[in-house]
Amino acid sequence: MTFIEELVALLGPERVRHHPLDLIVFSKDAGVTSGKVIAAVLPEHTQEVAAIVRIARRHDTPIVPRGAGTGLAGGAVPVEPGLIVVLTRLNEIHEVDEVGRTAWVGPGVINLDLSRSLEPVGLHFAPDPSSQQACTIGGNVATNAGGPHCLADGTTIAHVLAAELVTADGSVVVVGSEAPDLPGLDLRAVVVGSEGTLGIITKVLVRLTENAPDVATLLIGFPTIEAAAGTVSGIIASGLIPAALEIMDQPMVVAVENFVHAGYPTDAGAVLLAEVTGTREGVKSGVAVISAIASRNDATEVRVATDSAERAILWKGRKSAFGAVAQAAPDYYLHDTVVPRTALVEVLRKIYEIGDRYDLHMLNVFHAGDGNLHPLVAFDARKPGMLERVQAAATEMVEVSIEAGGSLSGEHGIGLEKRHLMHLVFSDVDLDAQARVREAFDDAGMMNPSKILPEGSRCFDASGVRL
Amino acid sequence: MSWVTEHPPARVDLDACVTCGLCLPVCPTFRLTGDETASPRGRLAAISAVDAGVLGIDERFSDVIGFCLQCRACETACPSLVPFGDIIERATAEVVAQMPSTVSRVRRFAATTGVGTPWIMRGGSILLGIAQRLRLAGALERLGIPASGLRRIPIPLPTARGGSWGASDAPTAMLFVGCVADVWFAEIHQATIEVLLAAGYRVESPKAQTCCGALAAHDGLTDNAERMSAANSSAFASADLIVVNVAGCGSHLKADPELGSRVRDITEVVADAISDGRLETLPANGTSVAIQDPCHLEHGQGIVDAPRAVVAAAGYEVVDADRDGLCCGAAGTYLIDYPETSTELGERKAAAVRAGGTKIVASANVGCEMQLRRFLDDSYDIAHPVEFYARARRGK
Ligand SMILES: Cc1cc2nc3c(=O)[nH]c(=O)nc-3n(C[C@H](O)[C@H](O)[C@H](O)COP(=O)(O)OP(=O)(O)OC[C@H]3O[C@@H](n4cnc5c(N)ncnc54)[C@H](O)[C@@H]3O)c2cc1C
Ligand code: SF4
Ligand code: SF4
Repeated sequence: MTFIEELVALLGPERVRHHPLDLIVFSKDAGVTSGKVIAAVLPEHTQEVAAIVRIARRHDTPIVPRGAGTGLAGGAVPVEPGLIVVLTRLNEIHEVDEVGRTAWVGPGVINLDLSRSLEPVGLHFAPDPSSQQACTIGGNVATNAGGPHCLADGTTIAHVLAAELVTADGSVVVVGSEAPDLPGLDLRAVVVGSEGTLGIITKVLVRLTENAPDVATLLIGFPTIEAAAGTVSGIIASGLIPAALEIMDQPMVVAVENFVHAGYPTDAGAVLLAEVTGTREGVKSGVAVISAIASRNDATEVRVATDSAERAILWKGRKSAFGAVAQAAPDYYLHDTVVPRTALVEVLRKIYEIGDRYDLHMLNVFHAGDGNLHPLVAFDARKPGMLERVQAAATEMVEVSIEAGGSLSGEHGIGLEKRHLMHLVFSDVDLDAQARVREAFDDAGMMNPSKILPEGSRCFDASGVRL
Repeated sequence: MSWVTEHPPARVDLDACVTCGLCLPVCPTFRLTGDETASPRGRLAAISAVDAGVLGIDERFSDVIGFCLQCRACETACPSLVPFGDIIERATAEVVAQMPSTVSRVRRFAATTGVGTPWIMRGGSILLGIAQRLRLAGALERLGIPASGLRRIPIPLPTARGGSWGASDAPTAMLFVGCVADVWFAEIHQATIEVLLAAGYRVESPKAQTCCGALAAHDGLTDNAERMSAANSSAFASADLIVVNVAGCGSHLKADPELGSRVRDITEVVADAISDGRLETLPANGTSVAIQDPCHLEHGQGIVDAPRAVVAAAGYEVVDADRDGLCCGAAGTYLIDYPETSTELGERKAAAVRAGGTKIVASANVGCEMQLRRFLDDSYDIAHPVEFYARARRGK
């Protein structure tokens, strides 16, 4: 039987897609590059995933796991012609332990659905990427996703206790456990953030977080982005740890306000969205501290939202920022770097300079609290030479961040789009070590090949190993 | 050759999609299937590929487009403001032009001749009315005719078409009566006229008006839709205010270049009259009403608060039937081609209403009302928001 015939025998024709239309639709995620798809399959449980992997292995076909396809680094895009394994149908919340505050969930469960379903018991899943209404828990684990509230709560790695994984040989393994500290190597930490290169995640044991008794969200307008960044430094220096600190520059605020109509000040040079959570008293004093620091930094407007409807609309503005960019141009390139908070203002200035030099339309939105920058370039990819210009600027922006003591990716992962920059932060020996870990899980190199690690990472390239 | 019609999907509109995926979770067909090709972003990718000449129009494309409910929830969710409703209508028209056999004959008849020809509409309605009296609704359901969603059809048949009511010196509100609404939902028109009169309007219902054409446009039958639009343009030529009480019709008419700016939903008109004191706020009656948000009111016209204001002013406590919920699956003639999906979504909506516990439901769209009636038992009282207001006024 051919590859497709075997898949159809397993799943039936409806769940095996290879019509040209399907190949096009599944060739892309939310990033800018597209790849080559041989077929896309929609399994419904772990055993089907394992069977699919065994078939693909027999036919020597690379596999690319896919969640909701909101990834921005091309992680779910097959570089070499491959099989897309779509995990959206593994979307069951298997069991919730309200007392122990954990839950076993399918990788296809949508992040926000999980938190919504837990509302009645006063719990939520803390990582809240801006894409949380759409992205899957499996995708979050695979990219170690962060979000505005990870400032206080930590990224996905801090909220995953264990994961069930189908590895390249088709076997089902569980890494991590319900016990907080397991003897031996912590493989869980290796799997979180592995972007589908170590196996397909088919179940996740997540840690749940208690909902805060009280919350306040502040929207603060500033004349300049420096004033906003200065406020963030001031808040951190005061010892207060807000739940979130997000900055948007003026072009971004204008685009966002055009969509949400939340009353964002479009004339401000920048806005800071800050959130404090805790007891009633704690929230009250947090709001007072932030307001005072903001006015010392020339804030033009401080709005405090305490009811959930107003808070929701303010957050909706922030969380739709990337999508709203298209009002400016059909394509966008979203950067994702981390710099030490002390270097924030300096790096931002350099980033604006680079944008100007390459004559690019830039909008800025970022997790200011942890120095995670997201400069966004809106452009039209059909203009000749444009994509190259955008990519050249991107490389410079990453270099500037790293020079300032930062890192390559704050949260979106390396995937395809930043793979060539890995050598900026890792030596050959480091990369070789990472390639060896990968080989230990996947000797045939068939799990999301050509992702994360740059070509030739393995110093002593074993023959037949696809990297 | 990729497109053949005069107004294919526009490149600038397609380009507005940045493929962020934020529309995926609100899309009913994606929620049911987890399938990118059944999502707004997937549909746009397919349409873009045709536009770029790398994909042809065939059965698969036709199915991907046809499976869309045109509920436009994706439009509300899209931060990039992609005009999805318009794009999908144009793509559907292309499919029909290039593959005429894809719209089933039944669906084509229902969306054009059926709703656009008064004698067929009325003749069919008498038969339905008789069937109801013979308790044959269940049997018709099994034949694929959603008869259990109907209110009892009065015989002789009513019509509000051609009437005029109220003092001649008052500002005139022209009533759009619709095709099925005119014969099947006469009480809604009665309530509408009553409340408009109370708000100080004269009401007139032009005789020459016809079906709004929404069903035809959704099914890609552009020519029929345009003929209906032309007829309505001349029937309503002298109108300053055109009042519509069926959200599906209103949403379509508001997009009409001739009529659009003069069209308002009845809930908007009544909510305004309540807020400026032309209509009174009635005392609280201690009963709650669950508001269902029709897609063509919320996503098509951006109206969420008005039906709540109307029902609240009638003295009811307002609760949400299924806020942020998915389309109920009625979607015009959708259930003719995709009965299973339509049923699955109808069941989901009904389950959400049941879970809410409120037995009185307000829906501003007759299509949704019929769908709710099909999946909820007779103990539920389902009516239009303006009917709740009219009832409360009568009872005061
Ligand atoms: C508007 C917008 C805002 C965003 N904001 C943030 C943000 O604030 N923080 C952030 O961290 N990210 C953000 N992202 C990026 C993206 O949403 C996250 O990376 C998310 O975790 C991806 O989830 P997904 O389900 O869409 O995964 P996909 O895009 O489908 O896949 C992402 C990667 O995970 C792998 N993968 C997916 N599922 C599995 C599985 N079950 N097993 C193994 N591998 C798997 C894929 O192979 C791929 O490498 C944003 C994206 C958008 C479009
Ligand atoms: S939300 Fe809008 S921009 Fe984003 S994928 Fe959907 S249609 Fe495209
Ligand atoms: S109109 Fe409704 S069914 Fe169609 S793509 Fe948009 S959300 Fe999905």
